[in-house]
Amino acid sequence: MVQINLPENSKVKKGKYFKDKTGSKNLRKVNIYRWDPTSGENPRIDTYEVDMDNCPSKVLDILNKIKNEIDPTIAYRRSCAHGVCGSCAMNMGGKNGLACTKPHSEIDGDIDIYPLPHLKVKKDLIGDLDGLYKQYQSIEPWLKSNSKSKTTEIIQSKEDRKKLDGAYECIMCACCSTSCPSYWWNGDKYLGPAVLLQAYRWIVDSRDEEREARLKKVADELKLYRCHTILNCTSACPKGLNPAKAIAEIKKMLATTSL
Amino acid sequence: MKNKSPLSPHIQIYKWHISSLVSISHRITGIINIIVITLICLWASLLLLGESRYETINLLLDSPIGKFIILGIIWSFSFQILSEIRHLIMDLGYGFELKTTKITGLIVIFGSIILTVIFYLTGKSIL
Repeated sequence: MVQINLPENSKVKKGKYFKDKTGSKNLRKVNIYRWDPTSGENPRIDTYEVDMDNCPSKVLDILNKIKNEIDPTIAYRRSCAHGVCGSCAMNMGGKNGLACTKPHSEIDGDIDIYPLPHLKVKKDLIGDLDGLYKQYQSIEPWLKSNSKSKTTEIIQSKEDRKKLDGAYECIMCACCSTSCPSYWWNGDKYLGPAVLLQAYRWIVDSRDEEREARLKKVADELKLYRCHTILNCTSACPKGLNPAKAIAEIKKMLATTSL
Repeated sequence: MKNKSPLSPHIQIYKWHISSLVSISHRITGIINIIVITLICLWASLLLLGESRYETINLLLDSPIGKFIILGIIWSFSFQILSEIRHLIMDLGYGFELKTTKITGLIVIFGSIILTVIFYLTGKSIL
């Protein structure tokens, strides 16, 4: 259901203000979404003044700086810091992306940092992605083969391998799915761009023998056709992939194959 | 404690871009068009009740507010047509690169304004 307003317990209040103590002249204000599960209070926005003269180029560097030097209570996921693991996906300057690859110079004015949109918040910038992982599991993301000969490798031509380019690189950071308004309103049923891109990845894999079953499974008014080509997903993807195109390709396959 | 988890902000904070604007406008103009078509049918049916009733509506549409409404309706239809063509091309699997979507989106937005002017002037010259 389309629910424009946030529920009462999710309304964001004004939070604390952390004034700069370094005396730096090159300051930027960073507004960060905070929610403490133990307090029972509403989420709030804390504002930090950050000395940019001693801060590397990415948004994650700002967060690390705040956690190390200003406020150690702030919670966020991060791991590889090279755009490979997908842990630090969040909403920065109104757009989803990976904090470790997003340069803060690309954000004008104050830097607003929120968790990924329309998720149950666990703490501060950490959203609950369980629903998405369950949906990912539901498309059975592994190679299915009924071939009896188990001793030989399944050979794939270069052309067939090429079909997986732009799909296999996905790191499941959930930037795309949580940027999608259709996924916000129907996230319980609509699979969302991340999972559909993976569904596509297995449908077009020449080595997979369950193509038709996979197509049938995804051919559902709610699971697939909630995509209205808003293209928030493609513009959000930090790996430059195109989930919207993959979804369109699935729709096209369903329109042209008789199942 | 789990139920108390707040929902993270979504449409309140997410930045708009051309494709999302065109997409939402496509839906809104779609709804407007359905209502307008119904009203036009009702207007035409008023002819059955005699010329005078039909003329009252004509008078209303001749006023400045009426002209504004007419322009709005023409824009709504123009936008819907162009945006639908964009959607059809996308349904064929083309035009998904970010740059292309931006360009086609801009074509829809500015094209709808140009179409509105053309339709309005053509309509005026016929009458």
